[in-house]
Amino acid sequence: MKRAYRFCLLLYPRGHRDLFAEEMLHVFEQAAAGRGGDGWLWQFHFAFSEIAGLLSGAAEAWLAPKPATRVAGTAASYVPQELLEAQRRVDAKIAAMVQAIANHQFERARQLSDQERIARANLHALRQKYGDELGMSF
Amino acid sequence: MRHVAKKNNEPAPKPLSEPVLLILTSLAAHPRHGYALIQDIELLSGGRVRMSTGTLFGALRRLLEEGWIERFEQEDTSRQKQAYRLTGVGRTQLEQELERMKDLTRVGFARLKTMEAR
Repeated sequence: MKRAYRFCLLLYPRGHRDLFAEEMLHVFEQAAAGRGGDGWLWQFHFAFSEIAGLLSGAAEAWLAPKPATRVAGTAASYVPQELLEAQRRVDAKIAAMVQAIANHQFERARQLSDQERIARANLHALRQKYGDELGMSF
Repeated sequence: MRHVAKKNNEPAPKPLSEPVLLILTSLAAHPRHGYALIQDIELLSGGRVRMSTGTLFGALRRLLEEGWIERFEQEDTSRQKQAYRLTGVGRTQLEQELERMKDLTRVGFARLKTMEAR
């Protein structure tokens, strides 16, 4: 269960993971321990609601406008096309991974997770190439 | 024809979602960390709402971005026990929402009494 939870945390954007992943896992462990004496039906209900909460939370975290863009408006026109394409590839892999998990296609989700890691490494390399002076968070 | 003057030009605040309202209410008395929030929200709602960690931390992230709550490290605890507390803005938002609900409740009961009196 803990392993599944860790895996689902990978679906969140990097910023959210850096800020909350460790804490979320700890709270999840506490909550699971608190449900320890409950029957299997409650355990199942708990596991289901946690996974569903993570999937919807991850989707929301990706779709929510970032605070910087809310305040300062978009700077997309100044971002190199290559960088935008790389970001879109990462987003597409994440969306496909969420879909695969929702459909219980875990093998496919694992493949997409590997592809997402490669796409993210490519994005990171491009960010280093173009510099981070644009101030956009990816 | 009666004209009702607007109090000010500001748009009326949007009603808060249930998770946000419960989190702000839970933090109104004193700061709490993640698991304490889940437990208190279950208690506040009479056992009706058992918030998942995904829902909780999604709402916490939005509230941090809005500046309605702040995160701080409690003494003698690890990073895993970051605590959250209301900011002045958050307290104002909660007060406004509770006032709105109070007005709505009063109107609702008044209409029910009117209905019963007929």
